[in-house]
Amino acid sequence: MNYLLHILIMVNIYIILTVSANLIVGLANLLSLGQAAFYGIGAYITAWALMTLGLTLFPALLLSILITASIGFIIGIISLRLKDDYFILATLGFQIIIYTVLYNWISVTRGPYGIPGIPSPKLFGLVEIDGILPFFLLSSILAIAVIVIFRNLIYSPFGRALKAMRDDSIALLSLGRNITKLKTQAFTIASGFSAVSGFLFAAYITYIDPTSFNLDEAIFIISAVMIGGTGNIKGPLIGAAFVVILPEMLRFVGMPDNIAANMRMIIYGLILIVLMMFRRQGLAGDYKF
Amino acid sequence: MLLQLLINGIVNGAIYALVALGFAIVYNTTRIFHIAYAVIYMVAPYFVYTFFDKLGFNIWISAILAIILTIVVSLVMELIVYKPLSKKNSSGNVIMISSIGLMIIAINLVALFYGNDTKILHRDISDSIRFGQLIITYSQLLQFGGSLLLITGFIFFLKFSKFGIKTRAMRDDEPLCRVFALDTFRFRNYLFALSAVFAGTGGILVAWDVGMDPYVGMPMLLNAIVALIIGGVGKFHAPIVGGFIIGILQSVVIWKFSANWMEGVTFTLLILFLVFRPQGLFGEKQRLV
Repeated sequence: MNYLLHILIMVNIYIILTVSANLIVGLANLLSLGQAAFYGIGAYITAWALMTLGLTLFPALLLSILITASIGFIIGIISLRLKDDYFILATLGFQIIIYTVLYNWISVTRGPYGIPGIPSPKLFGLVEIDGILPFFLLSSILAIAVIVIFRNLIYSPFGRALKAMRDDSIALLSLGRNITKLKTQAFTIASGFSAVSGFLFAAYITYIDPTSFNLDEAIFIISAVMIGGTGNIKGPLIGAAFVVILPEMLRFVGMPDNIAANMRMIIYGLILIVLMMFRRQGLAGDYKF
Repeated sequence: MLLQLLINGIVNGAIYALVALGFAIVYNTTRIFHIAYAVIYMVAPYFVYTFFDKLGFNIWISAILAIILTIVVSLVMELIVYKPLSKKNSSGNVIMISSIGLMIIAINLVALFYGNDTKILHRDISDSIRFGQLIITYSQLLQFGGSLLLITGFIFFLKFSKFGIKTRAMRDDEPLCRVFALDTFRFRNYLFALSAVFAGTGGILVAWDVGMDPYVGMPMLLNAIVALIIGGVGKFHAPIVGGFIIGILQSVVIWKFSANWMEGVTFTLLILFLVFRPQGLFGEKQRLV
């Protein structure tokens, strides 16, 4: 049972990541290879808030979201001036810079040693969220909250403006909308929500180190979004569930662990290529990327 | 000490220039963001390992066979993935995601066959030449000489051969090439083969010095991309200059700070260029926003 709950918690964490990445990739058509950086910043701020500042659950979560979103805003302003390949390169550059800082600024982040023993967050200073069932509930509540917020965003004037920009940015420009502002808002919101995943990861695993937030992770997040599909809510949900559950399936098939790790990556790669060739909207998305 | 680091920087710079030029051969002409190029660089020394260390062939024969097989790998990528996608007029993002898929598949296939650990090609310590305090190993000389030979050869052919003229024509206007009855897809095969020669040679030369594991491709690709952007997209001599700049810059970083900050500084330079001079040192000004 605990095993099942653990997988579901991981699915919830990845759902928040893919849903927020979907806002920039699927709605704004901006392929970002820097999502793991925001995930990581969120996790490190959470560790700092819970350990050093001794904050309770909601203040820590809010602080993590605010700081990550501010960093996302700055990175967005810089990189969103560029388009296509250049934008992707800029996000990739920031991803690597942030990873290098997390890895090498040892006096602050403890670098490669990571931060162990992150205390469990307390709800209003009363109930301690500790153990697997409370975390499952917490992660589910946060994931559902994020999904609801994004559902509303998609059907709000803001979401429609994003979709319009994706489909025909010049038409939107002629209607007097500020495209750069729209993109920056989307990028900031998405990075803020990636911090929620970081919060859950740091508080649940109680140990973080920079290697969980490297370029491979960023590529993994984008792969999950692409596999699931972009443009709606269903796609990212299916993508997140798929990438988390597939390795466990392989284990049940009886594949030895050392082969399974490589095998699942080969399967992801194959699925990506096949989808890009024959079904660009992913398994369940509605935007033909 | 500084002079020694400078020499090391120039040798590394020559390799970056070689690999970046191979990337530019594909990127400048076809606009394919060939992320799977990292795999081409990584797989070549594994072929040498198979022929030279496992089967006991002569090193030169092993190297030539390895390059031929590397070309085959590159052509398989082009024919199975890039060509069908280009025929469908897929967007750059779609091609890039497929390329990521290709890279994931190939890295994990190599890891499955050869294991994740570092392999070395030969056990003898490389001889070196000393000039007072300075030490230059034969492997370094080989890296520098090999890179320079290929680079100058290519620049010469670009200028004077029919192949070079076609390459420049492809770079400037691909549709017009088709108008003048150049079979662009057939010509792309030659470009992919040539880029594989460059990446494969670079990979073998470096692996001969320090060995390889399945993950060496990505850091080298990233450096090559930064070299290309710094030099400027669209000019073939640009990535060469960019490669040497990065090589020397990284030595200075190692001297002033530590090797850990190398990637961070390289990518900060990338961001600075993307923001203030996106066309690179030699590129023509174009609208990127």
